[in-house]
Amino acid sequence: MVYETSKGTEAGSNSKGKKSDSEGFTVKAMMKNSIVRGPPAAGAFKERPAKPTAFRKFYERGDFPIALEHDTKGNKIAWKVEIEKLDYHHYLPLFFDGLCETTHPYEFFARQGVHDMLEHGGPKILPVIPQLIIPIKNALNIRNRQVICTTLKVLQHLVVSADMVGEALVPYYRQILPIFNIFKNVNINSGDGIDYSQQKRENIGDLIQETLEAFERHGGEDAFINIKYMVPTYESCLLN
Amino acid sequence: MSASEAKPKSMTRAKQWSDEIENLYRFQTAGYRDEVEYRHVKQVEMVDRWPETGFVKKLQRKDNTFYYYNKQRECEEKEVHKVKVYAY
Repeated sequence: MVYETSKGTEAGSNSKGKKSDSEGFTVKAMMKNSIVRGPPAAGAFKERPAKPTAFRKFYERGDFPIALEHDTKGNKIAWKVEIEKLDYHHYLPLFFDGLCETTHPYEFFARQGVHDMLEHGGPKILPVIPQLIIPIKNALNIRNRQVICTTLKVLQHLVVSADMVGEALVPYYRQILPIFNIFKNVNINSGDGIDYSQQKRENIGDLIQETLEAFERHGGEDAFINIKYMVPTYESCLLN
Repeated sequence: MSASEAKPKSMTRAKQWSDEIENLYRFQTAGYRDEVEYRHVKQVEMVDRWPETGFVKKLQRKDNTFYYYNKQRECEEKEVHKVKVYAY
C-alpha cells in the first residue's frame, strides 16, 4: 500500500504514485492517486448566442415607417409617419425586440426608435407594457455587456416615459430582475485609476444600481419590497 | 408671407448656447434655416413645441419625413458654433 502525500509526488521521489486528474463523484475519484478536479464554471456571466430577431426581419422587409439616412450626423431617425399616429401595440414591442441586436444598422434603429417612441408616446405606452416584458427579458438574458447597457438605459427611460408605467412594471420584476442580481456587482475596482466607462455610462454595476433606484422611485409603495425580494443586496434609496 | 421677406440679409455664427440657439439648431438639422423658412415652406402657423422647455418638438423635413426632438437640450457644446443665425 502506498500512502502518499501530494508533497511526495511533487518532489518526484516515488515513480509509482503518479497522480491523475479525475472528475468528482466518480469511482476514479475514490482512488488514492487521483486528484479531484473542481467543478466546472456554471457560466452565469457567459454570453448566450442571440437568436435572429423579428426586428431584423421587419427592418429588412422595409416594414418600419422609417427612412434610411446617410447624410445626417447619425443620431436621428427620419420617420415617414408621425409617431403619434403609430400603432404602439404593434411597433413598440417590435422595436424592443431589436434591443438584442449588436450590429449596425439594426442596433441603432432599435435603440433610437425605442427612444423616440418613449419620448413621444405619452399615454399610449402604458397599455403596451405587458407586451414589452418578453423582449426586455430576452435582451437581458443574452448577457452581452453592450446589450445589457442599452436595455438598462431604455428601462430607465421607460419608467419616466409616462404616468403609472413604473407601477405597471412591478408585477414583472420576477422576469426582469434576476439578471440584475447576477450583474449587480460587476463593477471595476480600479483603485485610484480612472474608470473611463463611468463617463460613457457603460459600467454595468452602476447602471443596475441607477435603474433599480429609478424603479423604486417610480414604482409606488410596493416597489421596494418586490425589488428586495429579487435582488437581496439592494438597499432602499428612499427609506433610509 | 412674401418671398422677399424669406430672404435673409446676413448670417452670423452662434457663440454661446441659449434657448434660441437650441431651436435654430433643431431647425437646421431638419434642413431649414430657421422658423421663418419652415413656416414659409410648410405653410403652417405653429411649430410643435415641448410645453415644459419651449424647445421644438417635431419638424417635417422637405422630403416629408419627420424629425422628433428631445425635451432636453440636444445641441452639444461642440455643435454650438456651427449654428447659423440669420438676420432679416
